[in-house]
Amino acid sequence: MSTEPNPEPNPAMAPDGDPEVYYLNMGPQHPSMHGVLRLVLKMRGEEILEAEPVIGYAHRAHEKMAENRNYLMFLPNTSRVDYLSGMIYNIAYCQAIEKIMDIEVPERAEYIRIIACELNRISSHLLWFGTFLLDLGGITPFLYCFDDREEILDILDSVTGSRLTYSYGRFGGVTMDVDSAFVARTRAFLARMRDERLPKYRRLVGDNVIFRERCEGVGVITRDVAFRYGVTGPCLRSTGVAYDVRRAEPYSIYDRFEFKIPTRVEGDTMARFDLRIEEMEESCKIVEQAVDGLPEGPIMPAKPKKRYRPPAGEYYFAVESARGHFGTYIISDGTDVPVKLKLRTPSFSNLSSMPDVLRNTMVADTIAIVGSIDVVMPEIDR
Amino acid sequence: MRYVRRVLGGLISLFVGLSITLRELFKKPVTLQYPHEKPSLSPAYRSAIKLIRFDETNSHDCVACLACQKICPSFCIDIEGGKVEGIKKKRATKFTMDFALCSLCGLCIDVCPTVTLEYSKLYDEAGYNRDWNMDLLEEFTDYEEQFITEQREREEKAAAEKKAKAAAAKAKAGKNEKAGKNEKAGKNEKAGKNEKADKVGGQAEEGEA
Amino acid sequence: MSNLPTAPETLADYVSGNLWLFFAIATAAIMGYLTLNALFLIWLERKISAHIQRRLGPMEVGWHGVLQTVADMLKLLSKQLVTPRAIDKPLYHLAPVVVFAPVIASVAMFPFAEDLVILDIELSLAYVFVFGGIGIIGIFMAGWGSNNKYALLGAMRSVAQNISYEIPLILSALSVVLLVSGLEPVIINDNDQLRPASGISLIDIAIVQDAKGWWFVLVQPVAALIYFIAAVAETNRAPFDIPEAESELVAGFHTEYSGMRFAMFFFAEYTNMIIVSMVATVLFFGGWSGPLLPGPVWFFGKTYLLIGGMMWFRWTFPRLRFDQLMSFCWTVLIPLSIVNLLVTALVLELL
Repeated sequence: MSTEPNPEPNPAMAPDGDPEVYYLNMGPQHPSMHGVLRLVLKMRGEEILEAEPVIGYAHRAHEKMAENRNYLMFLPNTSRVDYLSGMIYNIAYCQAIEKIMDIEVPERAEYIRIIACELNRISSHLLWFGTFLLDLGGITPFLYCFDDREEILDILDSVTGSRLTYSYGRFGGVTMDVDSAFVARTRAFLARMRDERLPKYRRLVGDNVIFRERCEGVGVITRDVAFRYGVTGPCLRSTGVAYDVRRAEPYSIYDRFEFKIPTRVEGDTMARFDLRIEEMEESCKIVEQAVDGLPEGPIMPAKPKKRYRPPAGEYYFAVESARGHFGTYIISDGTDVPVKLKLRTPSFSNLSSMPDVLRNTMVADTIAIVGSIDVVMPEIDR
Repeated sequence: MRYVRRVLGGLISLFVGLSITLRELFKKPVTLQYPHEKPSLSPAYRSAIKLIRFDETNSHDCVACLACQKICPSFCIDIEGGKVEGIKKKRATKFTMDFALCSLCGLCIDVCPTVTLEYSKLYDEAGYNRDWNMDLLEEFTDYEEQFITEQREREEKAAAEKKAKAAAAKAKAGKNEKAGKNEKAGKNEKAGKNEKADKVGGQAEEGEA
Repeated sequence: MSNLPTAPETLADYVSGNLWLFFAIATAAIMGYLTLNALFLIWLERKISAHIQRRLGPMEVGWHGVLQTVADMLKLLSKQLVTPRAIDKPLYHLAPVVVFAPVIASVAMFPFAEDLVILDIELSLAYVFVFGGIGIIGIFMAGWGSNNKYALLGAMRSVAQNISYEIPLILSALSVVLLVSGLEPVIINDNDQLRPASGISLIDIAIVQDAKGWWFVLVQPVAALIYFIAAVAETNRAPFDIPEAESELVAGFHTEYSGMRFAMFFFAEYTNMIIVSMVATVLFFGGWSGPLLPGPVWFFGKTYLLIGGMMWFRWTFPRLRFDQLMSFCWTVLIPLSIVNLLVTALVLELL
């Protein structure tokens, strides 16, 4: 364990001569630092005076890789940027290229994408829910969530052949068509989720007095902090801002579906918990509408291009991932290899707000707060 | 009063939680005892790629066009090949794939012009080293000579047919070669797809072999 | 036991006549029982947690994995003991023993049946609490000696928690003591000497409940609940497992312990569980008393049922925060147990 603060000069982290102040190095190897986050905590007793997240332990140079291969070859990387909502990222990248190059996507493919993305969003939220409870010491809900998540993974597995890094999208469509068994299974899952599982989670966890005590009023992200750091997703919506890319700048065919953008005003951990549970319900609603309206037809354009050469220029395309505003920024020089491909990942901004949020909390709160903002480290480091 | 209500309300919520877990205690487990029971693979299951064995030729149809090698984001496919004495078609003489590098994206399958690539159903593979260079041609080497003789015969036959057709066409002076060629290619592809469907059932044995 | 027969006629007589031999055998028996008990409880815990979570748990070693913990113990025994360099050596090495030894001492005083008690001490209830308190010193030694911040934080939490929760624990036990002495006295025939039942002796409390035919939980439900909650906290188990809260402090006070040293802490935790459950059984559930079946069956049946309840708690609730844990103790449990004690005293006075 290092007793030195991070070598990066941060005046707030500097020792201030108080003999009771010490530094605690939480992570990158710690049971509840999601992935490989390292938090350097300046503490007095159990109280945190300053916190500093240190990132970069899962850096895999995805953006650099993009500069060394053509647009198509970057496809498998996209699911691996955020492995918990790989489908959303994968399809977002396809949608970005489609938008730049004016590729027509068949109706059926659009619907299938929506179903897959929203199922993926539910599975991501479920995993967050489970691990968050794990951080708070409740182990059982984690396993219940995995039971549900397993069902989603099985459903997605049946069309994509993969369970985590889907590589399901292609420019202009998707790789494989869904069948009636998929639709039936999805419907059964939605029914189970809404009628049995979500109410159960609310009763088992949301109403639990210990859980509420741990979450209410803890880790408040104010609207000001959220705006300053560019916090998005459920963390932003928990401060009362109804910003959701699906509604703010509708992409794909999201404007055809009815769904609410749940918001809370408290901005605390409990609000973020409530929001995500509600978002799962909304996602169920979207999936149901998409399954009902699933048209017949092709899933890929009749003649997919062999080479993709976006016209020279700079492009930005944003979607709502499970964690917030995910943007793909592409600079093209007209060749089939991007000059620069930058991914704007929501977790990075959300985590950036942590020094402000963690100040004057307790060690146990730190775990709850970092858990509640739902960071995925590989997404931050890329 | 608020204090009492909070304590009592909290107590009730705890009992609600306890009742939920108690009910779960007597429900049937949802897990599989993995090495003893294996989950059924999804029909779309993606594993290392393999070459399809077509019925009519009893061999693969890789013409070493290198399209898959070029598109592979992990650069894990290595193909060599070219002209084989006696037949028109190009043949792959080396087709290896490093499964340790493969990211199972399926781009190679998408681009294959002869549709001779598909996902194998290899499952729970494990090894003692990092050498996962798989020789996809291995299962075809024994038949290669036979294939070449047969292919020569087929090509001769096709050439003869073409000649006959050309003669007939000359007589009719209308039809061009291209249509015939296209038709043939289409047939080939169709046969391949049927084969693919048939093979799904027999994958398990093949995977183990 | 105290009257020595002149000539031993049976083996049992010989053993009970030779005090040293008797204690040696008793200690071995306790150790054996506690080891088996810990192995069984760990297996039971894994099974209960698994089934609550819709899993099967260990299934490989033995029937439904009963021997899994034996295999685990063998593994721990054969593991290398990693000793960190910067430790405080005496404290670090002594800590597992200090945690481990008192729990053995406590078990000797329990009346498993009316005539089955190894060490019949008049102040046995007090002794059990005293021995329970010693374990905390060991935990603090472990936390301090490890020279690890997580361990130190865990140890600090543990000390604060254990000292706080001992108050409601003892206060709730005290209301039973009061009940025994305050009710119409039950006369006990102790080696042909008649004396009134003492509230501070475990065996007497059980005898009183057996004689009266009802259990103290019926008249002291609040005390029983407080005792149970405080007992869960005393054993550092979820939802009060903050000293070793693995998601916060990695492993808390035993972060730096490996192999058999870790196993001793583990062993002490499960043994502590059985001790507090045995105390609860004696105080509130009548000890061995019960119809039809022999005493020990009832005694252990009740004890393991309580342990099952503790496990059920653990696999249902999230963990409290440290300050909430303390404020829950000081603002809910302690006032409640004091009120309960006063009401008990008042009612006994008025009766």
